[in-house]
Amino acid sequence: MAEIPTIDLEAHASEPLSYGGELDGYTVVDTDAHFLAPAKDLVEYMDEPWRTRASQVIPDVWREASAREARTSDGRLGRIRRAAYGGLSAILPGTTGDRQQWGKVIREHSAYPDAAQEVSKLPDAMEFLGVDTSIQISHFMLNAAGVGADDGRIPTFFRAYTQYMIEEVLDPDRGIYGFVPLPQDHVDLAVEMLSWVEDHEGLVGGVMLTAGAVPPLGNRKYDPIYELAEDLDVPLALHTSGSGLDSLQGFGSFLETHTLGFMQNNQSQLVSMVFQGVPERYPDLDVVFVESGVAYLPALGARMDEEWLKRTEEAPLLEKRPSEYLREDFYYTSQPLETAAGTAHLEHCFEFVGDRLMYASDYPHWDFDRPTTITNLPFLSRAEKQRILAGNAQEVFGV
Amino acid sequence: MSERDGGAARVRVATESEFDDPGREIVTVGDAEVGVFLIDGAYYAVRNQCAHEGGPVCMGEVRNELEADPGEAGSLPTEAFTGAKTVSCPWHGYTYRLETGEHVGVDDVALQTYEVVVEDGVVYVEP
Repeated sequence: MAEIPTIDLEAHASEPLSYGGELDGYTVVDTDAHFLAPAKDLVEYMDEPWRTRASQVIPDVWREASAREARTSDGRLGRIRRAAYGGLSAILPGTTGDRQQWGKVIREHSAYPDAAQEVSKLPDAMEFLGVDTSIQISHFMLNAAGVGADDGRIPTFFRAYTQYMIEEVLDPDRGIYGFVPLPQDHVDLAVEMLSWVEDHEGLVGGVMLTAGAVPPLGNRKYDPIYELAEDLDVPLALHTSGSGLDSLQGFGSFLETHTLGFMQNNQSQLVSMVFQGVPERYPDLDVVFVESGVAYLPALGARMDEEWLKRTEEAPLLEKRPSEYLREDFYYTSQPLETAAGTAHLEHCFEFVGDRLMYASDYPHWDFDRPTTITNLPFLSRAEKQRILAGNAQEVFGV
Repeated sequence: MSERDGGAARVRVATESEFDDPGREIVTVGDAEVGVFLIDGAYYAVRNQCAHEGGPVCMGEVRNELEADPGEAGSLPTEAFTGAKTVSCPWHGYTYRLETGEHVGVDDVALQTYEVVVEDGVVYVEP
């Protein structure tokens, strides 16, 4: 069949919320948006030898072309994308599977995954989503769990990204904030970078990866990070790493690894942190688990309670049931909310963790949520919706 | 533009000569946007509002539907693209059959379909 012309989405986007419902006056904080930084600009902030190495592998498409130029000048998106990722994957490996479903998923206000985010388009993306405040998480960071080498590339990239964001992107006056990616395998450097939050209004906290965290995040190795975060009253977001999906060996598709991976990563770190007593050792530490929806939490809490009541001495620091720590001592972001599960099941999940939820979009990724996933829920009051859409995030992140 | 025909308002889409094959037009029918498609000589019309999150589904990719047969025990499924046309929402990839409006995976998630008529060389959508 001949290729049917694709309609220009931007030409139909004059009313940002004309599709999918109105937001009805809610204030919205997006606690997980992703920023694909321009590699050519990051290089300028890198120390040697990675500055030279990165310069050598970044293809020209990253240096010059915007996403739309890349699409129209070549017309074959797949080749451009392989070129774009091919060079950089020498340093930061990508993952199997096509997140855009072979071109079906298209983003109006982001060049992801074809090229870097244009900073000038961030407000357009926020307007499209209907968010007032957006907290950015590094896209490159999500590749870190695929890095097996024990060398300086991760701290180098994370420092360069953060310095670039401070200088060129973060803008609290326009509601644009960001997290510091913490090189958690280099705890001393992670502690140093976490302290940057104190000096820069645009930084709201640190982010650590749940995938590839060896040992898991309840281990005492990470105590210096938790200690400083608690002392400075700086929250930590725990986000999976897309590259970590490839550790699920033998599965047949991205559908399978993505269904399991993000959720399993959060479950693993919750089990580790609760049973190792992190909430008891750092009672004022704010930890936000990101991007696995809500349905896994009641099931995990039930299993943890069942096990702990039989083997209590293996987790002697606990002062209450494990499920109570899940409900009272951590926060969670809502995306991707399992709306397909139906209202009754979701209501049960919200009874479990609804007080600790924060809205997140995950834009521009393939399974992003709009704030209407919260406002459309029939069992929440307006006040409860507002708390999820902004209140909890404003309290924890100070935005 | 609406035209009266026996009391029912139908919406003019384009003349046959204006309508590319393959091609598509977005028109307003009552309060709804409707995507009208012409592919291999056949017209289709479905509501431009994804059943998932309300996204502009008719602005997405038009593809052939994939079918799979499990085949012999121990073998990979046999996968093939059929001639049935689908449209995918650009927001999240929900994919629907243009002929029936049904989601390709489940029949209880569907887009409203509309009848397309051609009269005196003009293409209309019936409300």
